[in-house]
Amino acid sequence: MRILGTCKIAESGVFVNGLARQFEVNEDWKKDLYASLNIEYPKFYKMDALAKMAFLGVELLESSCNFDDYSENEIALIFANRYSSYDTDQRFIESYTEKGSPGPSLFVYTLPNILTGELAIRKKWYGENIFFINEKFDAQFFIDQINFYFRKGSKACLCGWVDSANNQEECFLFLVENSIDEISIEELIKSYKQ
Amino acid sequence: MSDLKETLKEQIIEQLNLEDLTPADIQNEAPLFGEGLGLDSIDALEFIVLLEQNYNIKISDPSEGKEIFQSVDSLAAYIEKHQ
Repeated sequence: MRILGTCKIAESGVFVNGLARQFEVNEDWKKDLYASLNIEYPKFYKMDALAKMAFLGVELLESSCNFDDYSENEIALIFANRYSSYDTDQRFIESYTEKGSPGPSLFVYTLPNILTGELAIRKKWYGENIFFINEKFDAQFFIDQINFYFRKGSKACLCGWVDSANNQEECFLFLVENSIDEISIEELIKSYKQ
Repeated sequence: MSDLKETLKEQIIEQLNLEDLTPADIQNEAPLFGEGLGLDSIDALEFIVLLEQNYNIKISDPSEGKEIFQSVDSLAAYIEKHQ
């Protein structure tokens, strides 16, 4: 397998393939980044933080990776995080404890794997998709999962560690293609920690 | 009526958690569903809650929703008529 591209968004900045983009990750960074990308996709405004981050990460990754090389069911989506949908869960609880009624538009985001659904709808990717809850970013775990989906016939895997809790947001995406090359755990960890 | 429309826009943003939008981003006559704001059937439920909580209006026939929730204009007209 080989890594075709990476995208990292964290407090330290926005990086595509390790190169910093001129962009400040402030409180409104998701809204500002969306505006800077000149995308017309009103559904973006409805998404929760996790889905927005994954959405923006894919748009950035697309500037260096050609997803069109794969048919609609050849890309597997493998995502993970630590805090699941914690932030949205809290907001959903507030909607019925403080605002009087449970909010349906919040409820739909009280599962983290909704973000894979949002990506599938946006990009028309109908391959395998899965979302794991792990204690921390685990490179070996991702490599094992990627190999599993390659064995099942996927040609590429879009992987992501997308997390949001306690005012900490983090988005790391990488696209991996099936090839005879091997990627090392160290290489993946280095990309994640950039 | 224009005050009601502005209030409605603020309530839509609050109720639907569209915190990245401002009332100025919502046009009175623009469709709220489909293209427009990209809302869907889940959001229609939010509109039903919004009308009930803020205007004490209950929509007994859900099939009416399609027409009522078409735009801020149509929502405001419905509220004016039923209050």
